This record gives sequence, structure tokens and C-alpha cells, in this order.
Amino acid sequence: MKHKLLFVLVIMSLILAACGGGGQASVVRIGKPNSPDNLNPGMAILAAAYTIFELVYDSMYDLNLDGSFKLSLAESMAVSEDGLTYTYKIKDGIKWHDGKPLTAEDISFTYNLYKDTPEYPYLNGYYTTYFDTITATENNEVVITLTEAIPNIESQLVFLYILPRHIWESVDKLEYENFEMIGSGPFKMAEYVQNEFVRLVVNKDYFDTPAKVDGVTFQTFENQDALVQAIKTGQVDMITEMPNTAADSLKSAENVELVIGAPLSPGVTDIIFNQTEPENCPTDEGGLCTGHPALRDRNVRLAMSHATDKQKLIDLVLVGLGTPGLTLIPEGTGVWYNNTIKDFEFDVAKANQILDDAGYADADGDGTRDMPDGSRPLTFRLNWPSDSITSPRTAELLSEMWDKIGISVELQAIDPDALTSQCCPAFDFDLIIWGWVSDPDPSALLYVYTTEGIPFGSNETGYSNPKYDELYAQQQTELNFEARKAIVWEMQQIVHDDVVYIIPSYDVQVQAYRTDRFTGWLTDQPKLALEDVTSLVVIEPVK
Amino acid sequence: MGVELFPRPHNLKSFTTSRSALNRTRILLRKIAWALFTILFVIVLNFFIFRVLPGDPARAGIRDPRLKAEAIEMLRVRFGLDKPVINCFESLNPVKLGSCNVNPLDTQFFIYVRNLLQGELGISYHTNRPVAEVLGERLWNTILLIGAGQILSIFIGVVFGVFAAWKARTSIDRAAVISSLVAWSLPTFWLGIILLFWGSKFGLPLAGKATPGASTYPLLQQWGDIARHMFLPTLTYTIIFMAEYTLIMRSSLMDVLSEDYILTAKAKGLSTFQILKDHALKNAMLPLVTVIAINLGFTVGGAVQIESVFSWPGLGLAIFEAVARRDFPILQGAFLLLAISVIFANLLADLTYTYLDPRVQTE
Repeated sequence: MKHKLLFVLVIMSLILAACGGGGQASVVRIGKPNSPDNLNPGMAILAAAYTIFELVYDSMYDLNLDGSFKLSLAESMAVSEDGLTYTYKIKDGIKWHDGKPLTAEDISFTYNLYKDTPEYPYLNGYYTTYFDTITATENNEVVITLTEAIPNIESQLVFLYILPRHIWESVDKLEYENFEMIGSGPFKMAEYVQNEFVRLVVNKDYFDTPAKVDGVTFQTFENQDALVQAIKTGQVDMITEMPNTAADSLKSAENVELVIGAPLSPGVTDIIFNQTEPENCPTDEGGLCTGHPALRDRNVRLAMSHATDKQKLIDLVLVGLGTPGLTLIPEGTGVWYNNTIKDFEFDVAKANQILDDAGYADADGDGTRDMPDGSRPLTFRLNWPSDSITSPRTAELLSEMWDKIGISVELQAIDPDALTSQCCPAFDFDLIIWGWVSDPDPSALLYVYTTEGIPFGSNETGYSNPKYDELYAQQQTELNFEARKAIVWEMQQIVHDDVVYIIPSYDVQVQAYRTDRFTGWLTDQPKLALEDVTSLVVIEPVK
Repeated sequence: MGVELFPRPHNLKSFTTSRSALNRTRILLRKIAWALFTILFVIVLNFFIFRVLPGDPARAGIRDPRLKAEAIEMLRVRFGLDKPVINCFESLNPVKLGSCNVNPLDTQFFIYVRNLLQGELGISYHTNRPVAEVLGERLWNTILLIGAGQILSIFIGVVFGVFAAWKARTSIDRAAVISSLVAWSLPTFWLGIILLFWGSKFGLPLAGKATPGASTYPLLQQWGDIARHMFLPTLTYTIIFMAEYTLIMRSSLMDVLSEDYILTAKAKGLSTFQILKDHALKNAMLPLVTVIAINLGFTVGGAVQIESVFSWPGLGLAIFEAVARRDFPILQGAFLLLAISVIFANLLADLTYTYLDPRVQTE
């Protein structure tokens, strides 16, 4: 009897639950394949955490989808003649989610916190490099003085989320898990279950225009097939990414709109040539520098570039969802991307000619060219991180393409972590297929080519060019926008001419949303990020 | 490894006193001692096995030019990775010899052991959260899912197995054997995905343990929500494991049914039901108990495949994620938990054995 009762209860609750969902019509349900690693902004590393920060916190600037910046917490900004002192007048009447007022004190406290906490891996090392002092005045102003005049204060401040002083001054800044997450942004933290979901509700008292929806939930799907199925069956209203192969099946799905655009954080796929000269080998840092000597010859790298059919790689590997690559600074960075560079055209005959002229003949007639002195064949190791879905196919196609110019490759996938330790600064490889994700500002990726980056493992090619290093230092402190842009463009031209990498493609963001749930998604912007705050504050429920 | 046999002095006396409580206690103590020794071994192995993997946990998954050398060093200091692994070794992969004159108490290994003795499992490299807390949350989710699956599959498996053995060599038996073999050999993730897609057509959830926001529902509805989320993964688990139990139960029962004493029972005119219930089942349960115990031990490891297909936030998924991120503390904690529960389950199986089969006691 008891069992029967329990059974009936379970069935009843199943039915009840099935009818449940109806009441929360204007909560946006977003499905994504990842989840935040940490809600403490100082400790977080993953982009999934930053998505939540953008919604719950404010920072000095908002980043628009066209790459421009807009003042957010401040109503005005003044910069001193010498470019060393920035004064921000903070808007009055801004409130934290717990009702306390947000003032310049909170902002100066936050910036000092980031500046004085070297354990914060990102915020401290990179974004606070030029901070000298940060103080709050009685007029609700924040005064930042810098150690050097820099051109890009916006991109330095945009990810420095402002934290409430009344909470953070009394917590352990490293251990604090920040589950309550008191912020000032357009959404409030309601519930966080790590690796399962984040539930946010709208902040009706937001100082800027409040969002028109009641809330947002981010649900984690470990299984990407399930994610795609979830939007088809209407269990979620938007999905942030999907395997390229799934895009086709969503085109025909009912009430689902597929959108394709440039990603918020532009990604680039690259083929790394190990070209470390013996004198640059960072032996103190574990450098082995076992790269094939032929790769130090520009002619070989140039020939391989000419023999690489980028469009074919995009069509076959990415199912057409990618754009041809050019330089390491992706086109998604907007103005910083040097689109005037003329790429090495796909031309197998020319590639063969270059190798012939440089003396790489097939001496032993085995189909693979040999070094001019006959010491070893042009057989390179080609590796990629084993968690990459697209690289195995890319590697096979590259092997076929380069075979046509008498270069053979040995293919091997390697565990990403093992590959990192093999790569840099050990330089124990010949070729790697890998990639980068870019900051809005090009400085971080430009650093990858610097001589200074070799022992740190940031420079993964071993490329070293004093002229380039000099330009890198110059662009870091060039205040004139046009002048800085000219330097950045010149740097891209230099490394392109030196064939430091082959850049096969830039990533494309593929997302999808339900047309029967919400309308107003920002799909016509230069960048596509429907989960970004920019979309979530403007969408409204479908009537 | 279900039943461990230990060498025993051959003297006549032990036969006469074998059933004494003293002897039983001695055997029990010896088994517990062995179990503790095994756990100790696991603790040591657990530490070194992950450090033999190549790569630097401080950089795992992070490839970013914004991450300066100082920042990486800070991470290493924070996680204690700047200390030598153990005397004479800076790191194990790549093998980097170091000074043998370090204070042994200031090596990663001894800090790990000391923390363990204090009940500290460390802090996750990835989430910065205490490992015990993370594993605790995950453990309950796993026990919920796998526990339900185990109970269902044991129950159904035993019933099917008995039925098949009873109707041995009929078409019912053959159908049971073939379907069990098919179910057992199905790839778990494949079956999971098929069921996932099938279930989603009826509105069953595609991921997770609960609908976001379910915590605001009334209690009954919350349970209903979890039950809905559990349905498909439990079904997948049950199908796969039920088959194993059916096959073992069937073959073991058939062995027993061919024994002379069963013939005797038949000759006495007992009904088939009586024979099964009073004479055959208890003996036939022995091999099954071993398998169940071992499976139960592995329960805490979760079912990695099922948990990742259904995004079920259990221990299996935690292990899967931690491997990818070189999150040693999580892996060490999870494997320790797994080892302890497997060893404990084995001990339990041994004891159950002595209860089911008194002959084992004399060993």
C-alpha cells in the first residue's frame, strides 16, 4: 500500500513538473557548452565567467559590438596634458544590488585591489601594469595617475569590474568565492550551481535603461549534440555555440534562426613554424630547440605558404564557416587588422620553384626533398592539441598539400598540456596547428612575436627581429591613434613578409535563437554575441 | 579480487576452533589491516601517478600572452607547485633532478600527506574551491543517479536471470540471453544519446539535474523536476547493468540447479518454486554478490560516459573535467574516494560471503 502511494506521488509530481515551466515566460534560457570557473573576478580565467561579470557588474567603460567604448559609470572623463592623469566624474545615484550607493570610493578601492594583488593572474599582470595611484575625491571623482602615457586606457579598464567596497574590504580576496555576487549591473545573481547553471534576475533599479526581460539563465550542456537538440525542441531560447556540422540541421529547424558573425573575442587558427635560432634558444628555461633547420629558412616557409590552399581548408574542415586568415591580428579586431597586406597566393608551381631555387632537391629520389647539403630530408613533425575537433582533418589536408611540393609531415595529436610543455619555451617541435583568441586591443597578440616573449613561452615560433621589438615598444606608448595604428599595421606587414606563421583562417561565431520566444537580438552588429549584455538588455518577449 | 584468501597455518587445532569467535575476529582484523594497507598504497600512488603526466598544472588550459611569467609563478606558489615534488626530484615529467638536501617536510609529497592526515584534500586548481566541498556536492548527485540505477538493475536483473535459468533452453531463455548480450555490448554513450534524443521529443530534459530556478518551486515539484531529469540516465544505466546481472544470475543458478542435492529435492517432490527459493537461490547468489559489491564500490566513480552524455553533475563528470584541466587535487580526492569505497565494498562482500556460505568462515 505504502509503495503504491509513493508511486502515485512520483507520477503526480512528474505531471506537475511537466506543467511547471509555463509561469516564467520572460526568462531567457541560454544553453552553452561551458560554465564559469570562478565568480571572483580576480581569479577567473574562462570567458564563461566574464559573460556573467558583464551582466552583473559594471566597469568604467562598456564595450560595444563594433569595438568602440562608451563611458558607463562615469558621466565625463578628463585627461591631463601629459596623458598621465585621468579624472572620471562618477554618476550620482547608482546603487549596488543590496541597495547601498556606489561611489568613487568603491571604484578606487577596486582598482587598488586589482593593482595590489599580484595573485590575480589576468587583472593584475596585464591590465594594471601602468597604474600608479588611484584615488577618490570628495566630488565623486576617481583620479587615476599612470606611470606612462598610454593610448588605450579604455581597453585597460573595460575588464576591471567594479566591486562593492563594503563587502570586499573584509573578505579574503583570493579565497572568496563570491557566490552572492553583489554588483551594480543590469542583472542580479539569484542562484549559482557550479557546472550546472547560473540564474540571474533583472535589476529593475539599474541606473541605465533596465532590461525588458525578467531574468536570464545560463545552463551548461556537457554534450554539444544535446545542446543543439535543446534549441530544436525549445528547451532553451538561445545557444551560444555549436559544432559547425550542426549548423546545417538548424537552418531548416522550425522557429529557430541561425546567425553567423564575427566572434566577440576574435579567434585565429595558426600553423606555428619552429624557427628558433640556436643563439635564441632559452636553455635556462628548459629550451631544447629541436626544430628542423630547414624551417629557419624563409624560402621553405614561403613555399609552404604558397602550397597551402586556405579556402579548401575552410570549405572542407570548417564546412565553410570561417574566413581566410592573413595575419595573427584577426579581422575581428576591426581597425587594428591590416587588410592591405597581400597574401601569398595559392600556387603549387611557384612553391616548387622557390624550393628548387633554394637548393632543396630530392637527392635520393624518394619523393621528399632534402636539405641542400643532403644531410636530412624535409620531413617535419606536425602536431596539434588532441582536444581540437578540426585539427586532425586540417593536418591530413596539409599533409596532402605539402606532399605536392616534396615536403612530408609526420602527423601526431598530442595532449594539449603536453603540447604546451613541448612547445614553449622548450621548442621541441617542428610544426603545430594551434590558435589564439584576441583581446580588443592588439597589444597582447603582437607580444607573441617579441624576442622578450621567447623565454616566457609566449613566443611560440622563436621568431626574433630587433626592428619588430622596437616597434612593439613604440606602439605601447604611442598616444596618437593614427600613428599607433600605422605602427601596428607595419608590424603585421613585417611578420607577414618574414612568414612567421601560416594563418589558415579566422573563427566565425555560429549561434541560434528561438524566434517564438524573444525578439530584438542584436544580429546586425560587426560582432555576434547574443549572450552578451548588449543583446540581453534590449530583447523583449514575443507577444 | 572479490574474496581474498589468506595463508593460514595448517594445524589441526584450527579446525576444531575454526568456528570460534576468536578466530573470526582474527580473520576480520587481518582483512581490515589489509584494507588499510591498500588505502595507504593508493595514497602514495595517487600522488605520483598524476605527477608523471607531462605538463604544468599552473598553465593547463591557459595559453594567453596576457598571462605574464610573474603571474604564472604566483599561481605555482599558491598551489605549492614551486616546491620540489620530493627529495632529489624537482619534477617527475619532465624528470628534473633536484637537491637531495631539502627539508623533506617542505616537499609537495609530504605537504600532501600532512594535509591528508589533517583531513585536507586541498584546493581545486581550476575553481579555487576546497576539493572536499566540490566532491561532496558531486558525490550525492552520483549516489542519487547510480544508486537508483543499481537498485533497479539488480532487481530486474535477478528476476530475469532466475526466470531465464528456470526456463533454461526454452525460447524465453534464449530471448533473455540474446537481449542481455545485446544490451551489455551496447556502447553506453551511444545508447545514452539515442535515449536522449528520443526522450527530448516527449519533453524530457536534455541536461543537468534540475531546471534552473526549480529551487523556487514547491518541494514536491522540485522532486518531480529531479525525477524527470533522472529518468533517462537511470534508464540507460539500468539497461546496461541489468544485462550483466541477468547473465551472471542465469549461469550461476543453472550451475546450482545441476547439483545432486537439487535432484534430491526434486525427488522429495518439492515444487519448482520451493526448490528455487529454499535450495538454489542462496547458493546461486554468491557470484552475484561479488559483482554487485565491486560495482557498488565503483559507484562513487560515477558513470563517466552517462554523466557526460546527460550533463549529470556527478563525480564521473568531475573526474572527466579534472583530467582535461590537470586539476590534481580534484583527481587525487576523487581517486582516494573511489579507492576507499572499492576496498570497503570488497570487505563488505567478504563479510556477506561468510554469512551466505558458512564454509568460507573456516578459510
